[in-house]
Amino acid sequence: MQLQIIIAREYLERVKRKSFIITTLLVPILMLGLMAAPALMMILSEPEKTDVMVCDATGRIAPLLSGNGEVTFTTTDLTPDALRSDEDIQAYIIIGADAVSRPERDITVYTRGSLSMITDSYITSQLNRAVEDVRLEAYNVGDIRRILDEVQVDCTYHTVNIEGEAETSTSSTLSYIIALTTDMLLYMFILIYGQMVMTSIIEEKTNRVLELVVSSVKPRMLMLGKILGIGLVAVTQILIWGVLLGAASAWLMPSLGAAGDVAANEPELASAIALLADPAYVFGIFGWMLLFFIGGYLFYSAIFAAIGSAVDNIQDAGQLSSVATVPVILGIIASMSVINNPGSTLAFWLGIIPLTSPMCMMARLPFGVPLWEILLSLAVLYASFMFMIWLCAKIYRVGIFMYGKKPTLLEIIRWSRY
Amino acid sequence: MEDIILNIDDVSKAYTGHQALDGISLAVPRGSVYGLLGPNGAGKTTLIRIINHITAPDSGTVTFDGHTLCQNDIANIGYLPEERGLYKKMKVGDQAVFFARLKGLDKKTATERLKEWFAKLEIEDWWDRKVEELSKGMAQKVQFIVTVLHRPELLIFDEPFSGFDPINAGILKREILELRDAGATIIFSTHNMGSVEELCDNITLINRSRNILTGNVRQIRERHSGNRYELTFIGDPGTLVGAVEPMCTSFTLGQIDRDGNATATARLRETSDIRNFIAAANSAVELRGFRRCLPSMDDIFVAAVEEYNSKN
Repeated sequence: MQLQIIIAREYLERVKRKSFIITTLLVPILMLGLMAAPALMMILSEPEKTDVMVCDATGRIAPLLSGNGEVTFTTTDLTPDALRSDEDIQAYIIIGADAVSRPERDITVYTRGSLSMITDSYITSQLNRAVEDVRLEAYNVGDIRRILDEVQVDCTYHTVNIEGEAETSTSSTLSYIIALTTDMLLYMFILIYGQMVMTSIIEEKTNRVLELVVSSVKPRMLMLGKILGIGLVAVTQILIWGVLLGAASAWLMPSLGAAGDVAANEPELASAIALLADPAYVFGIFGWMLLFFIGGYLFYSAIFAAIGSAVDNIQDAGQLSSVATVPVILGIIASMSVINNPGSTLAFWLGIIPLTSPMCMMARLPFGVPLWEILLSLAVLYASFMFMIWLCAKIYRVGIFMYGKKPTLLEIIRWSRY
Repeated sequence: MEDIILNIDDVSKAYTGHQALDGISLAVPRGSVYGLLGPNGAGKTTLIRIINHITAPDSGTVTFDGHTLCQNDIANIGYLPEERGLYKKMKVGDQAVFFARLKGLDKKTATERLKEWFAKLEIEDWWDRKVEELSKGMAQKVQFIVTVLHRPELLIFDEPFSGFDPINAGILKREILELRDAGATIIFSTHNMGSVEELCDNITLINRSRNILTGNVRQIRERHSGNRYELTFIGDPGTLVGAVEPMCTSFTLGQIDRDGNATATARLRETSDIRNFIAAANSAVELRGFRRCLPSMDDIFVAAVEEYNSKN
């Protein structure tokens, strides 16, 4: 009963705030904007035109270089010194006499300022191809370049996941993106809402509202109510975003898929769209994320609560709160390697240990993880958060009445035995 | 047998390297105002927290209303802490309802009673204002209401008057006495000895975590008076001294004012009879006034603490 009253206060005080409503609605728009921005800039920016002077001592490479819309190659007889002193020349290539046998030593590209990445990689690929062609000529096989071009294969493949009952089209790129996004979301939510618990406890303490509240409520109950109330705010936000995402999945994705003959030309993109258009898949990932968020949040917010109870002001909290923030950050860093190798033993253990499991399990999930592993990870996480809340409540109970001196971590841990 | 609402028996509490309470015992009669006095850091707050079931004593027992104090009794206790605050961003009315519900009132009753109190203290228009817009004194009025709203049997006020101007302190004092007359028991922790003399029936003086003085205020003052009397007279001081000196352990002459009234303070021997003393004085000089000197609680407080500290 008292717990409900506290949860209700913590929840309503936050959800009713304008800042919460604005953030909840604005962030998805901002995220979309951020994703669209690079593409828009590519479209809007003028392609850069670069004229590259080529000074070729072999005389065999330069003729093979062909330009495109942005890069043109001009053969020149000017000396390297003359090229260097001419301010009008943006870039030039000096090709030495031994360029065919040792191109890495005898070919140098000089630029005034730096080139765009696209221009740079185009020049490199042209030089490589030219040297290759010269070398191929030595073998005297007619038409070798044409044969090679015909033989070369460069395409992506349709991947089907046969685990489980229904066969689902998967796309590792999509899995990668989903893993990355959910991971970042989880990380942000745990840190932001965990720290919200901490600052709110510090505020109550410095305000001395606490003295009034604990005369009616057990400190343990107050801490639990606060953690759960703020957690509900986070879940509310996630659910609102989930509904927006679900709507996008149900309406936007099918129309995208139907928009053209994507399926024929880009099987990977097509299967990605098909997957995202499947609400069951989207909500599946979303549901797991929610479960891992709840576990991770409860685990870490208990630590944040204990730290908040121990200090009088935010400044003192900074250093101590690294006890909670560092493992979260380590978790997100580790999960980056887990994304690249989701099946490894390391990934398995990182996904079980409760300090890193929310982030690392989320990183593995989109690539397909046996159900028992997910359940084991969740079980360990939920058992650990119950232990953590029990332990931190003992610290909190003592900490909230400590004013003045900033305690050391060791002292705080000792409080749990009072 | 007096009706004791709260009995504290041999309670001790230690924190690491610090004994906060050492064998404290006291009994609070129902319907009385009980003063809990002591220098800063003596252990008063720890004791109050134990009574509020916030911390548990290491040893000793706390009996409330005939049974061992438990969590359910909290709904029957109202506590106004010395260091107190409210949620700044919350509206006054919502906040008061929140605290009342934590004490077990339902929303409807809480709102009704709050409206009554707000009307009584003439602060109805604060209901929808945020706490951060209130002055310190205004916020304290709200805290007072929150403390008494659930009509607890036992009220604990820790320095209730600090931060109040004399007018509001007067209003508060009146409300506290009204609550006592309505049957509530009040524990009153303060450094303001004037209000102790005025309000308290009994006191306990805690110093360095021990109970060094306890009892009825009137009796304590009598006990500490040391048979001291003050005389106002007109006449020759020398004659007076000659007449009464054998009956006194000490006799001190004071100043003579513009009207020729002189004062003197006499400390009577245990064996001396007060009526003989007055008769002797009256025959020596023209006696204008005679009264018994009761020491102020201030003096008793300082003397008791200093005596205890010099002995230990």
